Amino acid sequence: MGSQSNKQLPAKDDAMDIVTKPFGTAAVVIIGIIALAFGLFLSVSLGAANIHLHTVWEAIFYFDPQQTSHQIIRELRLPRTIGAALVGAFLAVSGAIMQGMTRNALASPEIMGVTNGSAFAIAIAFAFFPGQSSFTLILWSFVGAALAASIVFGVGTLSKGGLTPVKLALAGTAVGALLSSISSAIAIRFDVAQDMSFWYAGGVAGVNWSNIKVIIPVAVAGLIIAMILARSITVLSLGDELAKGLGQYTKTVKVLGILVVILLTGAAVSVAGSIGFIGLVIPHVTRFLVGVDYRWIIPCSAILGAVLLIYADIAARLVNAPFETPVGAITAIIGVPFFLYLARRERSGI
Amino acid sequence: MEMVQQAKKKKYKRTMLMIFLAIVAVFLISLNTGEIRISPMDTLKTFFGFGSEMDELVLFEFRLPRMVIALLVGASIAVSGAIWQGVSQNGLADPGILGVNAGAGFAVVLFIFAFQGTMSNLGDFTIFVLPLFAFVGAGFAAFLIYVLAWKKGITPVRLILTGIGVNAAFSAAIVVIQLKMSPNDFNQAIVWLSGSIWGSSWTYVLAVLPWMLIFLVLAVVRARYLNIMNLGDQLSYGLGISVHKERSFFMLIAVALAGASVAVAGSISFLGLAAPHLARKLVGPKHQGMIPASALIGALLLLLADTLGRVILAPSEVPVGLVVSALGAPYFIYLLMKTN
Amino acid sequence: MKSLETEKLCIGYNDRLIVDDLNISIPKGKVTTLIGPNGCGKSTILKTMSRIMKSNQGAVYLNGQAIHQTPTKEISKQMAILPQTPEAPSGLTVYELVSYGRFPHQNGFGRLSNEDKRIIRWALEETGMIAFHDRPIEALSGGQRQRVWIAMALAQETELLLLDEPTTYLDLAHQLEILQLLERLNREQGRTVLMVIHDLNHAARFSHYMIALNQGKVIKDGSPHEVMTKEVLGQVFHIDAEIVLDPRTNKPICLTYDLMNHERKLEAVNG
Repeated sequence: MGSQSNKQLPAKDDAMDIVTKPFGTAAVVIIGIIALAFGLFLSVSLGAANIHLHTVWEAIFYFDPQQTSHQIIRELRLPRTIGAALVGAFLAVSGAIMQGMTRNALASPEIMGVTNGSAFAIAIAFAFFPGQSSFTLILWSFVGAALAASIVFGVGTLSKGGLTPVKLALAGTAVGALLSSISSAIAIRFDVAQDMSFWYAGGVAGVNWSNIKVIIPVAVAGLIIAMILARSITVLSLGDELAKGLGQYTKTVKVLGILVVILLTGAAVSVAGSIGFIGLVIPHVTRFLVGVDYRWIIPCSAILGAVLLIYADIAARLVNAPFETPVGAITAIIGVPFFLYLARRERSGI
Repeated sequence: MEMVQQAKKKKYKRTMLMIFLAIVAVFLISLNTGEIRISPMDTLKTFFGFGSEMDELVLFEFRLPRMVIALLVGASIAVSGAIWQGVSQNGLADPGILGVNAGAGFAVVLFIFAFQGTMSNLGDFTIFVLPLFAFVGAGFAAFLIYVLAWKKGITPVRLILTGIGVNAAFSAAIVVIQLKMSPNDFNQAIVWLSGSIWGSSWTYVLAVLPWMLIFLVLAVVRARYLNIMNLGDQLSYGLGISVHKERSFFMLIAVALAGASVAVAGSISFLGLAAPHLARKLVGPKHQGMIPASALIGALLLLLADTLGRVILAPSEVPVGLVVSALGAPYFIYLLMKTN
Repeated sequence: MKSLETEKLCIGYNDRLIVDDLNISIPKGKVTTLIGPNGCGKSTILKTMSRIMKSNQGAVYLNGQAIHQTPTKEISKQMAILPQTPEAPSGLTVYELVSYGRFPHQNGFGRLSNEDKRIIRWALEETGMIAFHDRPIEALSGGQRQRVWIAMALAQETELLLLDEPTTYLDLAHQLEILQLLERLNREQGRTVLMVIHDLNHAARFSHYMIALNQGKVIKDGSPHEVMTKEVLGQVFHIDAEIVLDPRTNKPICLTYDLMNHERKLEAVNG
């Protein structure tokens, strides 16, 4: 038997070129963008009052303030749809980053208690500092998200035995439950329960242009940082020790990564409340189609996340028309079976 | 060597007695707390039949049944948690986390919404049927967890992860139903789901007392089987236990107890986790002693939490489940950090 | 006299058979070891013979009775198992764990009768753990812990003891401690011992009968002198071994070995 050739450790770039699936990536980008565009139009036209597609076209490009349908499109449907796309993208990218950094297939913003943290901060804002502007509420949301994320990661990493998938899920559940309880207590005591109910349900129904104006800069910043980090996350997803061996500053990457998650999730939650499972499911689908290179996973997750939430929102509007079903229920219908399937596989690898 | 065992038994009896006395103390304090203040002298007088009608009303119709329920529910949840931990060989198992409570809650909310339309004014018949529905809901959740986590056996990791998933599913379902309710009912639902001893009447006590007593006794009588099951599947087989049969049987008891508790007190998390741990610290892991100890400690803790809930933000009440969560979650996190 | 026998045993997962048509017999009153490379199926076979795992086909006979037709409590009075990495709940004392061994013999409430207590005491004495009876198990050393588990198995009062890698995680001294304990239990009380062991030399030194397995099949079975040979080890482990006699025990030991290269592997497998 011939002697084995002397294998060199593959250079960073080689490792990543090997693992990209070019066809999958192209498919996701092309089909995804088409689906997204179609979804956008569909979402704007469907609803309590169905509007013809060509009216939609007119409203966007030949806006006539006198026509009510144009008004509906401009002021209600369009922001809602764009909001859905953005929120879906944010949650998906957050999930992708978390899964890559923690090498944990079950990581997602809601399991880590981040959404509960946001809700907690918002509860305090409603109860003790009522009448805040959208902008400040978003800040509150960020603070809450940051608080929860730090506690969960802290608990997981500082515990005996280190961060394991189960530890993270349990820490997230506990911290989430704790913050959720305190939020409930505040909501009951200070009678802000109705306002809070928006959070429990989660939906893009109330998104308006001012909301979007506020979150766009934040989100753009988050996405840019995410793309810059993408390569480092790919390396990090090989394992901490391996990444250090390849010369990476793992702590910096992790801190920046968590920052991005907080920015994106905080923005998403403050605008649309708590919508589950997108951050969990989409990264898996993306990895399946696109490979393990985060330079592609991040943008593709954004596209797929946007598509998912737009269509879920459409479903939420149509399922029990003219009443709105919380979009969180729709995403749960898709997400929960998926989560359970993942739990059965039990492998923590990504 | 025999002397050491005798000494242990004595120590156990002493510990149990102390916990019991603590319960009595909190019981008396709790009788005295609330919007209407009744002095200890008057309390005693009322008990012996010499109190005023007003005092009798407050004590016997409101406070006493509520406290009895707190004790029963506390004991049931604690034992349910102890069983889950023993069966799943995992000290972090808790019916609240695993979604059993959520399943029960879902069934109850569904039932109320479908058959009553409103959360208030539940007829007497309904009250007796509630624990049954809760049991079905809890059982369904447990069944789902079991089936979904089973792949040639159940590993503790898979059990917990599956439980978290089932929890998420039922929680989402509850939200859907909630949003269809009127705002008033919605608020009531939130309060109830946060775990509150809203069933403050003797009817509720009667509805759950036989149910809980039977299953608590069953748990105590079969406790020693849990000792062996706690050693793992292989040794359980080796020592002659039909593992599947016994595990199903114990899960039945755990589910029945958790379900009944949710029916009258909403979803209370972390008690099923904390009480067995404390019990283990005080009396050791042998289940013959640990299960009764868990029951007493659970009763004590819930009574304490309920009393606190009534006092902290007076005049509003903090639902007892929130108090327990606020105290229990940090303890859970502490345990999480200490174990592997 | 055969304690435990398998007949045409087939064990596998889904479409992959780990063990195919296995026929082995464990002699009564002797120490038997199963040896073989990783993945050869020895743990799987042990688990199936102790009814922890189900077989796909074939049967296992315990003292002449088919185990899948015997109630599990009955089996536990005849056969005790010590699995690979047993875990005791924290806070449990030595006495308490050993008392669990009386479980198959208990009824009703499960209070320890005087007879139970006598046997627990005896088990603790046999394993030299009486002085530790009140200590929590996690406070003991590895060797002491293993002795406690063996004491629990003894308290079960079975004629047959099955042990899955009882010495793998112990240091040299503790390994010997456990093996010598098992040897004594066999010699003085006539208990049948069946164990899976990684260390070939220990296996050779302490067994009467060895079964060498590879890929679920028996390559060679017999006395240590018959099994510990260059040819057999070559076939089973693909190693080129140097066998000598241990000057202290007169049992065969593998003094040193090398990996086989490809041609010799083929020779060994086909020849």
